Amino acid sequence: MDDSRAELEQGDALVQACARGDRRAFHQLYVNEAPRMLALARRFTGDASLAEDALQDTFVQVWKNAGRFRSQRGSARTWLFGLLRYRLINQHHRSRREAFEPLPGDQWPDPGPSPEQCSLENDQRRAIIDCLQTLQMDRRRPILMAFYQGFTYEQIADTLAVPLGTIKSRVRSGLKGLQECLRL
Amino acid sequence: MIPRDSQERQLLIAEHVLGLLSPEQAAEVERWLEQDDDAAQLASHWQAHWLGAAELLEPEPLPPGLWQRIERQTAEAGTRRRPVWQTLWQSPSLWRTVSAGLLVAVVLLLGPLRVPAPVYTVVLQAPGEAASPGWRITVSDRGDLQLTPLADSEYPVDRSVQFWTLADPAQGPRSLGLVNPGQPLVLPASRVGDVESGQLFELTLEPPGGSPADRPTGPVLFIGRAVAL
Repeated sequence: MDDSRAELEQGDALVQACARGDRRAFHQLYVNEAPRMLALARRFTGDASLAEDALQDTFVQVWKNAGRFRSQRGSARTWLFGLLRYRLINQHHRSRREAFEPLPGDQWPDPGPSPEQCSLENDQRRAIIDCLQTLQMDRRRPILMAFYQGFTYEQIADTLAVPLGTIKSRVRSGLKGLQECLRL
Repeated sequence: MIPRDSQERQLLIAEHVLGLLSPEQAAEVERWLEQDDDAAQLASHWQAHWLGAAELLEPEPLPPGLWQRIERQTAEAGTRRRPVWQTLWQSPSLWRTVSAGLLVAVVLLLGPLRVPAPVYTVVLQAPGEAASPGWRITVSDRGDLQLTPLADSEYPVDRSVQFWTLADPAQGPRSLGLVNPGQPLVLPASRVGDVESGQLFELTLEPPGGSPADRPTGPVLFIGRAVAL
Protein backbone atom coordinates (compact mmCIF):
# COMPACT_ATOMS: atom_id res chain seq x y z
CA MET A 1 0.00 0.00 0.00
CA ASP A 2 1.46 3.40 -0.90
CA ASP A 3 1.95 6.13 1.69
CA SER A 4 -0.89 8.35 0.53
CA ARG A 5 -3.37 5.48 0.59
CA ALA A 6 -2.22 4.59 4.10
CA GLU A 7 -2.63 8.23 5.16
CA LEU A 8 -6.20 8.31 3.89
CA GLU A 9 -7.08 5.08 5.65
CA GLN A 10 -5.53 6.35 8.87
CA GLY A 11 -7.70 9.47 8.57
CA ASP A 12 -10.83 7.32 8.21
CA ALA A 13 -9.89 5.33 11.30
CA LEU A 14 -9.19 8.48 13.30
CA VAL A 15 -12.57 10.03 12.48
CA GLN A 16 -14.28 6.76 13.42
CA ALA A 17 -12.38 6.82 16.73
CA CYS A 18 -13.53 10.43 17.27
CA ALA A 19 -17.09 9.19 16.93
CA ARG A 20 -16.39 6.89 19.90
CA GLY A 21 -15.15 9.86 21.94
CA ASP A 22 -11.41 9.21 21.55
CA ARG A 23 -9.74 12.56 22.28
CA ARG A 24 -6.26 11.31 21.36
CA ALA A 25 -7.49 10.31 17.92
CA PHE A 26 -9.04 13.76 17.57
CA HIS A 27 -5.71 15.40 18.37
CA GLN A 28 -3.86 13.13 15.94
CA LEU A 29 -6.38 14.00 13.21
CA TYR A 30 -5.73 17.68 13.91
CA VAL A 31 -1.95 17.20 13.76
CA ASN A 32 -2.21 15.28 10.48
CA GLU A 33 -4.76 17.37 8.60
CA ALA A 34 -4.91 20.88 10.04
CA PRO A 35 -1.64 22.26 8.53
CA ARG A 36 -2.84 21.85 4.94
CA MET A 37 -6.38 22.88 5.83
CA LEU A 38 -4.95 26.05 7.35
CA ALA A 39 -3.04 26.71 4.12
CA LEU A 40 -6.29 26.45 2.12
CA ALA A 41 -8.24 28.60 4.61
CA ARG A 42 -5.58 31.30 4.67
CA ARG A 43 -5.41 31.48 0.91
CA PHE A 44 -9.21 31.48 0.71
CA THR A 45 -9.74 34.27 3.27
CA GLY A 46 -6.51 36.21 2.74
CA ASP A 47 -6.49 36.71 6.50
CA ALA A 48 -4.66 34.55 9.08
CA SER A 49 -7.15 35.29 11.87
CA LEU A 50 -10.21 34.42 9.75
CA ALA A 51 -8.45 31.28 8.56
CA GLU A 52 -7.82 30.16 12.16
CA ASP A 53 -11.46 30.84 13.08
CA ALA A 54 -12.66 28.74 10.15
CA LEU A 55 -10.31 25.91 11.06
CA GLN A 56 -11.42 26.01 14.70
CA ASP A 57 -15.10 25.93 13.73
CA THR A 58 -14.46 23.06 11.31
CA PHE A 59 -12.73 20.88 13.90
CA VAL A 60 -15.50 21.56 16.41
CA GLN A 61 -17.97 20.36 13.75
CA VAL A 62 -15.80 17.30 13.13
CA TRP A 63 -15.90 16.36 16.81
CA LYS A 64 -19.64 16.90 17.07
CA ASN A 65 -20.49 15.09 13.82
CA ALA A 66 -17.85 12.39 13.56
CA GLY A 67 -20.58 9.78 13.94
CA ARG A 68 -22.09 10.95 10.67
CA PHE A 69 -18.95 10.27 8.64
CA ARG A 70 -19.40 7.40 6.17
CA SER A 71 -16.17 6.11 4.65
CA GLN A 72 -18.01 4.53 1.71
CA ARG A 73 -18.96 8.03 0.53
CA GLY A 74 -15.36 9.25 0.45
CA SER A 75 -12.27 9.59 2.59
CA ALA A 76 -12.15 11.42 5.90
CA ARG A 77 -9.83 13.95 4.30
CA THR A 78 -12.40 14.70 1.60
CA TRP A 79 -15.03 15.10 4.34
CA LEU A 80 -12.81 17.45 6.36
CA PHE A 81 -11.96 19.65 3.39
CA GLY A 82 -15.63 19.64 2.36
CA LEU A 83 -16.66 20.91 5.80
CA LEU A 84 -13.96 23.57 5.72
CA ARG A 85 -14.84 24.82 2.25
CA TYR A 86 -18.57 24.85 3.10
CA ARG A 87 -17.83 27.07 6.09
CA LEU A 88 -15.50 29.36 4.13
CA ILE A 89 -17.97 29.78 1.28
CA ASN A 90 -20.93 30.41 3.57
CA GLN A 91 -19.15 33.01 5.62
CA HIS A 92 -18.22 34.90 2.46
CA HIS A 93 -14.72 35.32 3.72
CA ARG A 94 -13.51 36.12 0.27
CA SER A 95 -10.58 38.45 -0.07
CA ARG A 96 -9.20 40.20 -3.09
CA ARG A 97 -6.00 41.20 -1.34
CA GLU A 98 -4.00 38.34 -2.74
CA ALA A 99 -5.63 38.21 -6.12
CA PHE A 100 -2.33 37.99 -7.94
CA GLU A 101 -0.63 35.70 -5.49
CA PRO A 102 0.73 32.80 -7.53
CA LEU A 103 -1.64 29.85 -7.54
CA PRO A 104 -0.66 26.23 -7.79
CA GLY A 105 -0.97 25.55 -11.50
CA ASP A 106 0.19 28.95 -12.69
CA GLN A 107 3.53 27.52 -13.68
CA TRP A 108 2.08 24.69 -15.74
CA PRO A 109 2.58 24.93 -19.50
CA ASP A 110 -0.29 26.24 -21.58
CA PRO A 111 -1.78 23.95 -22.78
CA GLY A 112 -0.50 20.79 -21.13
CA PRO A 113 -1.06 17.23 -22.20
CA SER A 114 -4.18 16.37 -24.18
CA PRO A 115 -7.16 14.76 -22.41
CA GLU A 116 -6.16 11.43 -23.92
CA GLN A 117 -2.91 11.63 -22.01
CA CYS A 118 -4.63 11.98 -18.65
CA SER A 119 -3.73 9.24 -16.25
CA LEU A 120 -7.02 8.39 -14.63
CA GLU A 121 -6.42 4.94 -13.28
CA ASN A 122 -7.05 4.85 -9.60
CA ASP A 123 -5.95 8.13 -8.24
CA GLN A 124 -8.68 10.76 -8.31
CA ARG A 125 -6.46 13.24 -6.57
CA ARG A 126 -3.75 13.00 -9.22
CA ALA A 127 -6.31 13.00 -12.02
CA ILE A 128 -7.56 16.51 -11.27
CA ILE A 129 -4.02 17.85 -11.62
CA ASP A 130 -3.52 16.04 -14.91
CA CYS A 131 -6.86 17.28 -16.22
CA LEU A 132 -6.34 20.87 -15.08
CA GLN A 133 -3.16 20.86 -17.12
CA THR A 134 -5.13 20.08 -20.25
CA LEU A 135 -7.04 23.38 -19.95
CA GLN A 136 -5.99 26.62 -21.57
CA MET A 137 -4.78 29.15 -19.01
CA ASP A 138 -7.80 31.42 -19.58
CA ARG A 139 -10.06 28.52 -18.50
CA ARG A 140 -7.79 27.14 -15.80
CA ARG A 141 -6.96 30.30 -13.90
CA PRO A 142 -10.53 31.43 -13.07
CA ILE A 143 -11.35 27.90 -11.90
CA LEU A 144 -8.29 27.90 -9.66
CA MET A 145 -9.22 31.36 -8.33
CA ALA A 146 -12.61 29.97 -7.34
CA PHE A 147 -11.13 26.90 -5.70
CA TYR A 148 -8.17 28.40 -3.85
CA GLN A 149 -9.40 31.94 -3.20
CA GLY A 150 -13.14 31.47 -3.02
CA PHE A 151 -13.76 34.13 -5.64
CA THR A 152 -17.25 34.56 -7.03
CA TYR A 153 -17.87 34.99 -10.75
CA GLU A 154 -18.06 38.75 -10.20
CA GLN A 155 -14.79 38.88 -8.27
CA ILE A 156 -12.99 36.83 -10.90
CA ALA A 157 -14.32 39.11 -13.65
CA ASP A 158 -13.26 42.24 -11.71
CA THR A 159 -9.82 40.89 -10.89
CA LEU A 160 -9.03 39.73 -14.40
CA ALA A 161 -10.78 42.74 -15.97
CA VAL A 162 -12.81 40.46 -18.21
CA PRO A 163 -16.58 40.81 -18.78
CA LEU A 164 -18.71 38.72 -16.42
CA GLY A 165 -20.40 36.81 -19.23
CA THR A 166 -17.04 35.88 -20.71
CA ILE A 167 -15.78 34.62 -17.35
CA LYS A 168 -18.91 32.51 -16.80
CA SER A 169 -18.54 31.07 -20.26
CA ARG A 170 -14.84 30.26 -19.74
CA VAL A 171 -15.41 28.67 -16.32
CA ARG A 172 -18.26 26.53 -17.57
CA SER A 173 -16.24 25.53 -20.62
CA GLY A 174 -13.31 24.64 -18.36
CA LEU A 175 -15.53 22.64 -16.01
CA LYS A 176 -16.99 20.76 -18.96
CA GLY A 177 -13.47 19.95 -20.11
CA LEU A 178 -12.55 18.74 -16.64
CA GLN A 179 -15.67 16.64 -16.43
CA GLU A 180 -14.89 14.93 -19.73
CA CYS A 181 -11.26 14.42 -18.79
CA LEU A 182 -12.23 13.00 -15.38
CA ARG A 183 -14.90 10.79 -17.00
CA LEU A 184 -17.51 12.09 -14.54
CA MET B 1 -34.38 26.28 -10.60
CA ILE B 2 -32.66 22.93 -11.20
CA PRO B 3 -32.30 22.49 -14.99
CA ARG B 4 -33.74 19.45 -16.74
CA ASP B 5 -30.88 19.05 -19.18
CA SER B 6 -28.41 16.51 -17.80
CA GLN B 7 -25.32 18.38 -19.04
CA GLU B 8 -26.57 21.58 -17.38
CA ARG B 9 -27.27 19.65 -14.18
CA GLN B 10 -23.75 18.29 -14.14
CA LEU B 11 -22.27 21.73 -14.66
CA LEU B 12 -24.45 23.13 -11.89
CA ILE B 13 -23.04 20.54 -9.48
CA ALA B 14 -19.49 21.38 -10.57
CA GLU B 15 -20.17 25.09 -9.99
CA HIS B 16 -21.72 24.31 -6.60
CA VAL B 17 -18.72 22.29 -5.42
CA LEU B 18 -16.47 25.19 -6.44
CA GLY B 19 -18.64 27.63 -4.45
CA LEU B 20 -19.60 29.72 -7.47
CA LEU B 21 -23.35 29.79 -6.86
CA SER B 22 -25.32 32.48 -5.03
CA PRO B 23 -26.51 31.57 -1.50
CA GLU B 24 -30.04 31.02 -2.82
CA GLN B 25 -28.88 28.80 -5.69
CA ALA B 26 -26.55 26.90 -3.36
CA ALA B 27 -29.38 26.24 -0.89
CA GLU B 28 -31.55 24.91 -3.72
CA VAL B 29 -28.76 22.64 -4.95
CA GLU B 30 -28.12 21.38 -1.41
CA ARG B 31 -31.77 20.38 -1.11
CA TRP B 32 -31.57 18.66 -4.49
CA LEU B 33 -28.47 16.73 -3.46
CA GLU B 34 -30.26 15.50 -0.35
CA GLN B 35 -33.00 14.00 -2.51
CA ASP B 36 -31.06 12.73 -5.52
CA ASP B 37 -28.45 10.05 -4.82
CA ASP B 38 -26.92 10.25 -8.31
CA ALA B 39 -26.45 14.00 -8.04
CA ALA B 40 -25.02 13.62 -4.53
CA GLN B 41 -22.60 10.99 -5.79
CA LEU B 42 -21.40 13.26 -8.58
CA ALA B 43 -20.82 16.04 -6.06
CA SER B 44 -18.82 13.61 -3.89
CA HIS B 45 -16.69 12.63 -6.89
CA TRP B 46 -15.93 16.29 -7.63
CA GLN B 47 -14.98 16.88 -3.99
CA ALA B 48 -12.70 13.85 -3.98
CA HIS B 49 -11.01 15.03 -7.17
CA TRP B 50 -10.53 18.58 -5.85
CA LEU B 51 -8.75 17.18 -2.82
CA GLY B 52 -5.81 16.66 -5.15
CA ALA B 53 -5.67 20.40 -5.81
CA ALA B 54 -5.80 21.15 -2.08
CA GLU B 55 -2.88 18.78 -1.56
CA LEU B 56 -0.70 20.94 -3.80
CA LEU B 57 -0.63 23.56 -1.04
CA GLU B 58 2.30 23.55 1.32
CA PRO B 59 1.15 22.72 4.87
CA GLU B 60 1.44 25.71 7.19
CA PRO B 61 2.66 25.70 10.79
CA LEU B 62 -0.22 25.62 13.23
CA PRO B 63 -0.52 28.68 15.46
CA PRO B 64 0.07 28.11 19.17
CA GLY B 65 -3.13 28.09 21.18
CA LEU B 66 -5.42 26.98 18.35
CA TRP B 67 -5.61 23.38 19.53
CA GLN B 68 -6.32 24.55 23.09
CA ARG B 69 -9.23 26.67 21.81
CA ILE B 70 -10.63 23.68 19.92
CA GLU B 71 -10.21 21.49 23.00
CA ARG B 72 -12.08 23.96 25.19
CA GLN B 73 -14.91 24.32 22.70
CA THR B 74 -15.32 20.58 22.22
CA ALA B 75 -15.04 19.72 25.91
CA GLU B 76 -18.76 20.34 26.36
CA ALA B 77 -19.63 18.06 23.44
CA GLY B 78 -17.42 15.40 24.99
CA THR B 79 -19.66 15.20 28.03
CA ARG B 80 -22.39 13.51 25.98
CA ARG B 81 -20.98 10.06 26.75
CA ARG B 82 -20.90 10.60 30.51
CA PRO B 83 -23.42 9.25 33.01
CA VAL B 84 -26.83 10.89 32.97
CA TRP B 85 -26.42 12.65 36.35
CA GLN B 86 -23.07 14.05 35.21
CA THR B 87 -24.46 15.08 31.85
CA LEU B 88 -27.34 16.87 33.55
CA TRP B 89 -25.01 18.49 36.06
CA GLN B 90 -22.87 19.85 33.23
CA SER B 91 -25.77 20.55 30.89
CA PRO B 92 -25.98 24.15 29.70
CA SER B 93 -29.74 23.77 29.31
CA LEU B 94 -30.09 22.67 32.96
CA TRP B 95 -28.06 25.61 34.14
CA ARG B 96 -29.88 27.85 31.67
CA THR B 97 -33.13 26.73 33.29
CA VAL B 98 -31.75 27.17 36.78
CA SER B 99 -30.28 30.54 35.82
CA ALA B 100 -33.56 31.60 34.26
CA GLY B 101 -35.35 30.69 37.50
CA LEU B 102 -32.84 32.65 39.54
CA LEU B 103 -33.10 35.58 37.16
CA VAL B 104 -36.87 35.57 37.46
CA ALA B 105 -36.47 35.69 41.24
CA VAL B 106 -33.99 38.54 40.98
CA VAL B 107 -36.25 40.42 38.58
CA LEU B 108 -39.18 39.99 40.91
CA LEU B 109 -37.08 41.35 43.73
CA LEU B 110 -35.11 44.05 41.98
CA GLY B 111 -37.10 45.18 38.96
CA PRO B 112 -37.15 44.75 35.18
CA LEU B 113 -34.55 42.64 33.42
CA ARG B 114 -32.37 44.12 30.70
CA VAL B 115 -33.37 43.22 27.16
CA PRO B 116 -30.99 40.51 25.86
CA ALA B 117 -28.70 41.88 23.18
CA PRO B 118 -28.95 40.26 19.73
CA VAL B 119 -25.79 38.50 18.63
CA TYR B 120 -26.96 37.28 15.23
CA THR B 121 -29.37 38.69 12.73
CA VAL B 122 -30.80 37.28 9.54
CA VAL B 123 -32.78 39.10 6.88
CA LEU B 124 -34.98 36.66 5.01
CA GLN B 125 -35.59 37.65 1.42
CA ALA B 126 -37.58 36.16 -1.40
CA PRO B 127 -35.16 34.20 -3.63
CA GLY B 128 -33.62 36.52 -6.20
CA GLU B 129 -35.21 39.63 -4.67
CA ALA B 130 -32.48 41.14 -2.54
CA ALA B 131 -34.36 44.42 -2.19
CA SER B 132 -37.45 42.76 -0.69
CA PRO B 133 -36.84 41.68 2.89
CA GLY B 134 -39.81 39.71 4.16
CA TRP B 135 -38.81 38.64 7.66
CA ARG B 136 -36.09 39.42 10.18
CA ILE B 137 -34.57 36.98 12.66
CA THR B 138 -32.64 38.03 15.75
CA VAL B 139 -30.84 35.59 18.03
CA SER B 140 -30.08 36.91 21.50
CA ASP B 141 -26.97 36.31 23.56
CA ARG B 142 -29.05 33.72 25.44
CA GLY B 143 -29.69 31.87 22.20
CA ASP B 144 -33.41 32.71 21.96
CA LEU B 145 -34.68 33.41 18.46
CA GLN B 146 -37.29 35.95 17.38
CA LEU B 147 -38.81 35.86 13.90
CA THR B 148 -40.51 39.11 12.92
CA PRO B 149 -42.47 39.89 9.73
CA LEU B 150 -41.25 42.99 7.90
CA ALA B 151 -43.82 43.15 5.13
CA ASP B 152 -47.32 42.00 4.39
CA SER B 153 -47.18 38.92 2.21
CA GLU B 154 -49.96 36.77 0.86
CA TYR B 155 -49.85 33.02 1.38
CA PRO B 156 -52.24 30.33 0.07
CA VAL B 157 -54.76 29.59 2.81
CA ASP B 158 -54.67 25.85 2.14
CA ARG B 159 -50.90 25.54 2.76
CA SER B 160 -48.59 25.88 5.77
CA VAL B 161 -45.49 28.01 6.10
CA GLN B 162 -42.64 26.08 7.72
CA PHE B 163 -39.46 27.46 9.27
CA TRP B 164 -36.14 25.62 8.70
CA THR B 165 -32.46 25.96 9.45
CA LEU B 166 -29.40 24.32 7.95
CA ALA B 167 -26.13 24.56 9.86
CA ASP B 168 -24.31 21.67 8.27
CA PRO B 169 -25.24 19.82 5.07
CA ALA B 170 -24.10 16.58 6.70
CA GLN B 171 -26.95 16.95 9.18
CA GLY B 172 -29.49 18.24 6.67
CA PRO B 173 -32.17 20.85 7.29
CA ARG B 174 -33.93 20.94 10.66
CA SER B 175 -37.51 22.11 11.11
CA LEU B 176 -38.09 24.91 13.59
CA GLY B 177 -41.85 24.52 13.31
CA LEU B 178 -44.75 26.17 11.53
CA VAL B 179 -45.16 29.92 11.20
CA ASN B 180 -48.39 31.88 11.25
CA PRO B 181 -48.16 34.24 8.27
CA GLY B 182 -47.70 37.81 9.39
CA GLN B 183 -47.25 36.80 13.04
CA PRO B 184 -44.00 37.02 15.02
CA LEU B 185 -42.57 33.84 16.50
CA VAL B 186 -40.28 33.39 19.49
CA LEU B 187 -38.31 30.16 19.98
CA PRO B 188 -36.23 29.25 23.05
CA ALA B 189 -32.54 28.43 22.72
CA SER B 190 -33.26 24.78 23.50
CA ARG B 191 -35.35 24.57 20.33
CA VAL B 192 -33.04 26.62 18.14
CA GLY B 193 -29.72 24.94 19.02
CA ASP B 194 -26.35 26.50 18.32
CA VAL B 195 -26.34 29.29 15.75
CA GLU B 196 -23.23 30.15 13.78
CA SER B 197 -22.27 32.78 11.23
CA GLY B 198 -23.44 31.82 7.78
CA GLN B 199 -26.12 29.44 9.07
CA LEU B 200 -29.00 29.17 6.64
CA PHE B 201 -32.62 29.92 7.62
CA GLU B 202 -35.61 29.69 5.31
CA LEU B 203 -39.39 29.62 5.13
CA THR B 204 -40.98 27.17 2.73
CA LEU B 205 -44.53 26.57 1.55
CA GLU B 206 -45.65 23.10 2.60
CA PRO B 207 -48.81 20.96 2.67
CA PRO B 208 -51.24 21.71 5.52
CA GLY B 209 -49.63 20.78 8.82
CA GLY B 210 -46.11 20.93 7.45
CA SER B 211 -43.74 18.89 5.33
CA PRO B 212 -44.55 15.18 5.24
CA ALA B 213 -40.78 14.46 5.27
CA ASP B 214 -37.97 15.55 7.56
CA ARG B 215 -36.88 18.07 4.95
CA PRO B 216 -38.50 20.87 2.95
CA THR B 217 -40.64 19.66 0.07
CA GLY B 218 -42.16 22.92 -1.15
CA PRO B 219 -40.84 26.12 -2.71
CA VAL B 220 -38.65 28.52 -0.77
CA LEU B 221 -40.56 31.68 0.16
CA PHE B 222 -37.81 33.51 2.05
CA ILE B 223 -34.19 32.68 2.72
CA GLY B 224 -31.17 34.24 4.42
CA ARG B 225 -27.99 33.56 6.38
CA ALA B 226 -26.98 34.48 9.92
CA VAL B 227 -24.66 37.43 10.34
CA ALA B 228 -22.82 38.02 13.62
CA LEU B 229 -23.36 41.46 15.13
